[in-house]
Amino acid sequence: MSESGMQYRGMEDFPSTRLFGSGTPMCAGCGGLLVIHQLYDLLGSDTVFINAAGCMTLLSVYPYTPFRGSWLYTAMASAPAGAQGVRDALDILLESDRLRREENLEVVVLTGDGAAYGMGLSATSGALDRGLDFIYLCYDNEGYGNTGQQYSPATPHGAATSTSRGNGGFRGNKKDLFSLWAAHNPPYAATVSASEPLDLARKVEKLRSLRGPRMLLAFSPCPTGWGFEPAQSVMIGNLAVQTGIWPLKEFIGGKVEHTVLPEKRLPVEEYLKRQGRFAHLFASSAGRDIIAELQGAVDRYWEGVR
Amino acid sequence: MYRIRFHGRGGQGMKTAGRILGTSFFLEGFDVQDAPRYGAERRGAPIFAYVRASRSVIQERGVIRRPSLVVVADDTLAGLPEADVLGGQSADTVMAILSDVPEGTWRSRLNLDSPIVCIPRPDAIKGYAGQAMAGVCCAAVAARLCGSIPKSTLARAVREELGFLAPSVLERSLSEASRMFDSLAPYEAVVRDRPDREFSCDNPPGWVELFHDAAAVAAPVIFGGLTSRLLKTGMWRTFRPVIDTARCRRCWWLCSSFCPDSAIHVGDDGIPAIDYEHCKGCLVCVARCPVHAISAVPESRGVRQENGEEAV
Repeated sequence: MSESGMQYRGMEDFPSTRLFGSGTPMCAGCGGLLVIHQLYDLLGSDTVFINAAGCMTLLSVYPYTPFRGSWLYTAMASAPAGAQGVRDALDILLESDRLRREENLEVVVLTGDGAAYGMGLSATSGALDRGLDFIYLCYDNEGYGNTGQQYSPATPHGAATSTSRGNGGFRGNKKDLFSLWAAHNPPYAATVSASEPLDLARKVEKLRSLRGPRMLLAFSPCPTGWGFEPAQSVMIGNLAVQTGIWPLKEFIGGKVEHTVLPEKRLPVEEYLKRQGRFAHLFASSAGRDIIAELQGAVDRYWEGVR
Repeated sequence: MYRIRFHGRGGQGMKTAGRILGTSFFLEGFDVQDAPRYGAERRGAPIFAYVRASRSVIQERGVIRRPSLVVVADDTLAGLPEADVLGGQSADTVMAILSDVPEGTWRSRLNLDSPIVCIPRPDAIKGYAGQAMAGVCCAAVAARLCGSIPKSTLARAVREELGFLAPSVLERSLSEASRMFDSLAPYEAVVRDRPDREFSCDNPPGWVELFHDAAAVAAPVIFGGLTSRLLKTGMWRTFRPVIDTARCRRCWWLCSSFCPDSAIHVGDDGIPAIDYEHCKGCLVCVARCPVHAISAVPESRGVRQENGEEAV
């Protein structure tokens, strides 16, 4: 796709004003909060955020909110249903001239991976079937972070969680939510990482020019749940991209395109060794086998891309 | 009954301290309650953990308002009203504080007549990486000061609660607990096992009638935006980032873009400024600044520098 006419060519095109409020109770170095503030700086206050239960439950605890605009809280599985209600209400107000066109709001679902990959999947699929006009932001921190990092369907193979403490870590495999969305053939779906703000901004710009169900699946390093120093939060995102573990891509016009192709992929160890949740893999030969397995899966993925 | 309150910051293992102490008492045949307080359990934020232990059935519930022992893992909490270190302390409450500031200074600063046990901070908990070890140390402090727990029981409780960790971490925890326990021999049993309170001595609560308001009045609707700014998350910091404006190259504000908390703003002159009322001290900006114009300074020194008491 041609880059001409795009607003975000370099960092200098970025807004310098921070629209999202400080003072939220998210952990220091929270990767989820980082992606939310980057998105909010671009979308602005003409938005309604529909929040599935998760870490971000704590964003707006009465009477405090970091949003300039509206926020609605729903149960874990039903954020897309909540978004449908809000979108319908806005449409009715617009059609009956009780809301001016310029007062229209963008409806944004904000969900963690626990809700997005698991119990919220059915409501999401339904909203895709109905072609609901909304943005779906999933901050993926690969576990139930707010309750102490129990495993979720987004937890990577081999990671230790508070419910996967054995030598092998989590036995399952990370679900491919991006492909599940692509299978619904939506107008837009993309993976992003806040460590690559320019890539993120370009994707937000594209998605704003489209209507219908549009997803951003955001890699969200979690210092508390993954076991690394908060200061390394952005570096962990860089490494996920550079090792090829987190491919940056988009689904648009029925096709998947990769937006960042790591020239020379770093070994996955570079990413794994900086996180406590993978420390056990380096302590035994069985763990080494799992690392080789993870590297093999990443290699196979990128073979398919080229 | 023993009523013990642990004060620390998120990441210093206060919940773990409560669990180890609770399990120790339990192994000695006590009735035990141990629970951390639900709240912002975030790294750096003030954290509370409570342990009650009694030879008879415990009827009390909830937070501990009249502690027999207060253990403070982080002496910077003493000056924070939100941390409520002094809350409910009486003449026979023992306060144990891990601090390199002498006991006499604390006595005058806090205006306390009650016993203070000032314990120099073990080397293991100094620096950024050792913070989590503070919890084990505090459990050992409480075990020794209460006097009802032999060292072997404390070790068993540490194994029970931390057995899932890597063997090297467990061994280090055991040796820190042991060293702390041994060093406090002169303070054995300074906390007294007081008789349980009779509930008849409590005044009946002053009931407040809540009327059923209309939903438009009673529903929790926030009409103003950005009210989260009223919450000063700056108190979570143990280290603060400081910008050397002479070295700042006025790049396109990487520090501001990457600050998760929107706590770095750029002025008209293109120089970023850190909002210390909200900066949580994650230090992402320190790691991201391409010209290393941001450094991490221990919070206590940062405060002295801000007040002009120490050169920058």
